[in-house]
Amino acid sequence: MVASGTFGYAREMAGLVDVARLGGILPKTITRDPRAGNAPPRTIETTGGMLNSIGLDNDGIEAFIDRQLPYLAGLGTAIIVSIAGRTQQEFTRLAARLEGIDGVAALELNISCPNVSGGVDFGTNPAMCEKLVADVRRVCSLPVLAKLTPNVTDICAIARAAEAGGADALSLINTCLGMAVDWRRRRPILGNVLGGLSGPAIKPIALRIVYQVFQAVDVPLVGIGGIATIDDVMEFLVAGASAVQIGTANFYNPTVSTQILDALPVALAELDAGCVADVVGTIEGNDEARMTNDE
Amino acid sequence: MTVQHHHPSYADRAWQGTVVVEENVRVARDTYRIRFTCPEIARRVLPGQFIMMRLAGTNDPLLGRPLALYEVVPDSGGNPQGLDIVYLTVGKMTRRLALLRPTAPLEVWGPLGNGFPPTATEHLVMVAGGIGQTPFLALAREYLGLQTYGDPPRQAPNAGKITLCYGCRSSEYLAGVGDFERIGVEVRLSTDDGSTGHRGLVTDLIRPVVEQSSLACRIVCCGPEPMMEATAKIARELDLRCQVSLERPMVCGIGICFSCVAKIHDASGRWDYRRTCVEGPVFEAEDVEF
Ligand SMILES: Cc1cc2nc3c(=O)[nH]c(=O)nc-3n(C[C@H](O)[C@H](O)[C@H](O)COP(=O)(O)OP(=O)(O)OC[C@H]3O[C@@H](n4cnc5c(N)ncnc54)[C@H](O)[C@@H]3O)c2cc1C
Ligand SMILES: Cc1cc2nc3c(=O)[nH]c(=O)nc-3n(C[C@H](O)[C@H](O)[C@H](O)COP(=O)(O)O)c2cc1C
Ligand code: FES
Repeated sequence: MVASGTFGYAREMAGLVDVARLGGILPKTITRDPRAGNAPPRTIETTGGMLNSIGLDNDGIEAFIDRQLPYLAGLGTAIIVSIAGRTQQEFTRLAARLEGIDGVAALELNISCPNVSGGVDFGTNPAMCEKLVADVRRVCSLPVLAKLTPNVTDICAIARAAEAGGADALSLINTCLGMAVDWRRRRPILGNVLGGLSGPAIKPIALRIVYQVFQAVDVPLVGIGGIATIDDVMEFLVAGASAVQIGTANFYNPTVSTQILDALPVALAELDAGCVADVVGTIEGNDEARMTNDE
Repeated sequence: MTVQHHHPSYADRAWQGTVVVEENVRVARDTYRIRFTCPEIARRVLPGQFIMMRLAGTNDPLLGRPLALYEVVPDSGGNPQGLDIVYLTVGKMTRRLALLRPTAPLEVWGPLGNGFPPTATEHLVMVAGGIGQTPFLALAREYLGLQTYGDPPRQAPNAGKITLCYGCRSSEYLAGVGDFERIGVEVRLSTDDGSTGHRGLVTDLIRPVVEQSSLACRIVCCGPEPMMEATAKIARELDLRCQVSLERPMVCGIGICFSCVAKIHDASGRWDYRRTCVEGPVFEAEDVEF
């Protein structure tokens, strides 16, 4: 799959990528009302990664349903719609609005975007997270994925809460909060001061989180963070992810997603696996060291 | 008059792949011309379009960099075969690019963006600041009827006259002046230090050119943002149509990251953030909120 916010609304990619081959497309997160997004500069490259503070720039749900969804629905792949709200009610209204609409395969709750105020508490407070997921479940029969933020002390507590609320799967992870500084001008570089770090630089963090959460919950996990090659994909699968999303790599290698699909059969064969499910969570290791980071 | 030509031009005809450096030569201070074979892009590219370029086999720098088409290089039969890009070394990627020798691999995708639309013009006044002259050589060749671009080749109306107003820090940074003069473009220069041409801003050169011309002038402009803003203001005062090629920081070049936005007015006069990579980089100056 391709991650929300890193594949536009798929139209942009149709000329470069055979999108029907993808397991799924997550269009850019939509909100109830149109949002202009944050002031530029919105992105800055860092070593092996990038910071972004796009700020959920989107035209709102009605424009999405009118203008983007009919196109997306015809692409021959699963469309998982990413939604974000500032309040519980905004989330549930968005979910209810998408219920029964042609072409929507599932919802991903973006309770983890670091670039907007509000919304994020749902991703950092287990009780709020559980209630939000449960409320969305109640108004909507679509499969629900909860996308979690790595910017918490205990990711397993949030993951368990999302599972208890009824999430069908967890997407791990959104970006890691960071910043960049122009010391000569004594100023932050991003227009929004703080931004989300993504790309190869965060892969070890994402792998750690998938590994930890795999021990803590029973629902399937979607690995996200720095994936750019088939080796990265295999690492996530073995660590406990049942599927992956590719994000930043789409920006610097637009055809990465189908390149990885081409390479998947050979990599699975190397582990004598017939399908992805055969390798998920097959990592072996020191059981006692698993859940701790005492050193 | 607001001309709406900033509907998205997605990368529907873009090609992505690895190419090999054929030439990488210094053409002015800190300025190089790099050539590579890539008929897929060369055949389709239009003046004002750009490509994304990335050093192969490294994640540092990670992201591609946007670079404008300088000129298409034909094969022996005259068919579009390669691309010339002219670049200034300013940072991480371009400094390393300057070290590449022939046969080195590069990752590219393009052509991208909308380029300059073909528009009937009597006298085309091209205003360039710094490395901003790069999109104009191909444009001049097209308007002088020396080259066609695109697949199928598009027909651009010929311009009666073309003037390039080109300003740099000092004479040693002036790049490609001969390329323009050779094809019959009138070149007027300015430098900050007066080492060549007018001492001062390139925008000082615009009025005299327009006032001395007996033809109907139209302006195209590329360079640092304050210079484009000043040019847009002069164009408005002279009641001339002006297009600017914006240089916003880009990450993907294909419309999927939303980092390259600029404030662009719609027909009702309200602004919205628009992606310059797919809705630009060329905009009508009057639509841009600088
Ligand atoms: C559509 C488009 C077309 C372009 N065409 C060309 C072209 O034909 N030739 C060309 O040389 N450049 C062109 N540029 C600019 C070019 O993309 C940048 O110079 C390049 O990305 C710099 O990469 P870097 O890694 O070397 O610098 P970075 O390491 O990314 O930046 C280093 C420092 O240089 C500063 N910087 C970045 N860009 C510039 C700049 N343009 N001028 C001065 N300082 C800068 C940054 O703010 C930073 O402080 C174009 C840009 C756009 C958007
Ligand atoms: C420019 C940019 C925009 C993003 N926008 C969104 C978004 O709208 N919604 C969302 O859930 N995640 C968004 N993300 C996060 C990604 O989907 C992904 O979780 C994160 O970047 C980590 O994966 P990566 O390292 O492969 O990019 C965005 C990331 C980037 C870099
Ligand atoms: S550079 Fe990514 S949207 Fe324009």
